[in-house]
Amino acid sequence: MTKRSSRLANLTVGAALVLTLVPLMYLLSVSFMKQGEISSGILWPSSPEWNNWVDAAASRLPRGILNSVIASLGGAVLTLVIALPAAWAMVRYRTGGKTLANTILSPWLLPPIVAVVPLFALLRVLELNNTLTGLTIVYALANTAVAVWLLEGFVKKLPVELDEAAQLDGAGAFRVLVSVVVPLLTPGLVAVGVIVAVLNYNEFVLATFLTQGPESQTVPVVLSLMLGERIQDFGKIAAASLIGVIPVFAAAVFLQRWLVAGLVSGSVK
Amino acid sequence: MALSTSEGTSTRGRLPTPPGTGGPAPRQQRRTRDSTAHRLFIAPSILSLVVLGLYPLIFIVLTALSESSLGRPFQEWVGTANFEAALGDEDVVASLVRNTIYALLVSAASVVLGVATAVALFRSARSGALIRTLLLLPMITPPVVVGILWKLIFNPSGGLFNTVLTFFGYSGDPVSVLASPTFALVGVAIADVWEWSPLIALLVFAALLGQDPEVTEAAALDGAGGFRLFTQITLPAVAGTIAAAFLIRIVLAFKVFDLVYIMTAGGPGQSTTVPAYLIYQAALQQFDLGRAGTITVLLAIVVTVVTLPIVALTRRLHND
Repeated sequence: MTKRSSRLANLTVGAALVLTLVPLMYLLSVSFMKQGEISSGILWPSSPEWNNWVDAAASRLPRGILNSVIASLGGAVLTLVIALPAAWAMVRYRTGGKTLANTILSPWLLPPIVAVVPLFALLRVLELNNTLTGLTIVYALANTAVAVWLLEGFVKKLPVELDEAAQLDGAGAFRVLVSVVVPLLTPGLVAVGVIVAVLNYNEFVLATFLTQGPESQTVPVVLSLMLGERIQDFGKIAAASLIGVIPVFAAAVFLQRWLVAGLVSGSVK
Repeated sequence: MALSTSEGTSTRGRLPTPPGTGGPAPRQQRRTRDSTAHRLFIAPSILSLVVLGLYPLIFIVLTALSESSLGRPFQEWVGTANFEAALGDEDVVASLVRNTIYALLVSAASVVLGVATAVALFRSARSGALIRTLLLLPMITPPVVVGILWKLIFNPSGGLFNTVLTFFGYSGDPVSVLASPTFALVGVAIADVWEWSPLIALLVFAALLGQDPEVTEAAALDGAGGFRLFTQITLPAVAGTIAAAFLIRIVLAFKVFDLVYIMTAGGPGQSTTVPAYLIYQAALQQFDLGRAGTITVLLAIVVTVVTLPIVALTRRLHND
């Protein structure tokens, strides 16, 4: 590691930061521009146009954020409840064998658009179409495979001796899971929970085709509808986009450690 | 999918007591009880595989083999007629080819940028939590917002792209990237690369941190330095992770839909119509489920064929 290579490294990190942040800064800048300024090709408005933010806050966006938070957190908790027992049994006892381990991720390979019609049909039978409950359940099931896959990495790192000791003490499988595995695996559960919640929050296709009406529309759907309005108000759309990403960006800043740990666990287990 | 399902559910009632594994009776009893419990543990996950994987798969295959509209699916079995129609349809074939090239190029670009960033972060003194968090922001930004963001940048009247072009002395008509049949897909690709390269950087960075420091130190003591140390020690150590990241990236690129929907709506003409968008048009605009199901099956075949060699490569690199 010579001095020269580390200077090159600093330059590369700097370039990556610029390429990452300039587009986001531009979005911030547009959110303060008047309609005329956006088309005039300036980089920063002469005086900030706060009305864009006021308009965005007065739209369906706040309700959309609430819906998104409910669906993403509800879905993430349900996903963990479904996925943890499976991940544990699959790692420790090879339950389901190789077949399950190899096929569990297969639904993830195709774009979610292909599942819209079958899921719509199913939700209609259950009378859950156009409801936030229906969307939350779909999210819970949709991410189970990814959650199992990520949790496996965390379960593999748990010392086997601990659950064996509990079993020798006479604890059944369910007791071992609840009182030994869950407490030890809390960091992993938080990590995977954060990732799944972010995936849910950002999800667009299922949300837009499985829900209609403001009482169940999520942030990406509200934003896409703003783009579809007859007169596109880019200042308002930019402000709404920024307000909409606050929850996920806040999660990234405050939960960075867990987010990173979770993402890494799947690939390097 | 189908195999694992029957395995998981149908044998749940049977108590697996392998003959010959003696031992005290109560203990054996608990073992059986436990393995029943383990099957119960995987049952909810199997159920979600069935609901989100097997059920849509059967639904899609059945629509592909029948004449199906959104209102009245499965009207009449038509055998392979839908497939003959789709394979004879230039739009379908072109979109499959387009998405394959797109996926390979976008993934290659993401891997190059991601690996460069990861190595730079690893070697730079400036790689604290703040910088890492900032670099991760694109991949946690909702794809709809990413689409809006790049649509604004490529906006021909006053967008950042044209402003920068003008700054560097360009004086012709404003360039409308997303309205050009040649460049619209490049515009979508740039947004896609911006969004997902951070994931590659993160995975490779983590693998670099996880290397055995003793190996690197030994090589450095033996006189390997700088470039040689990197190509002969560091890169092989993380090759498996890079291959896995490439695989994940290709699948993400085959699934691109939100960006196309927001930025170009498949146009101009068919120039950014990927199969996912074609499926959307067939199912939800033309209500032709037979066609949508057929394109889905074709896409699944293409994704499998393209990713299989990379899956094999990933396995080999991980086992080495």
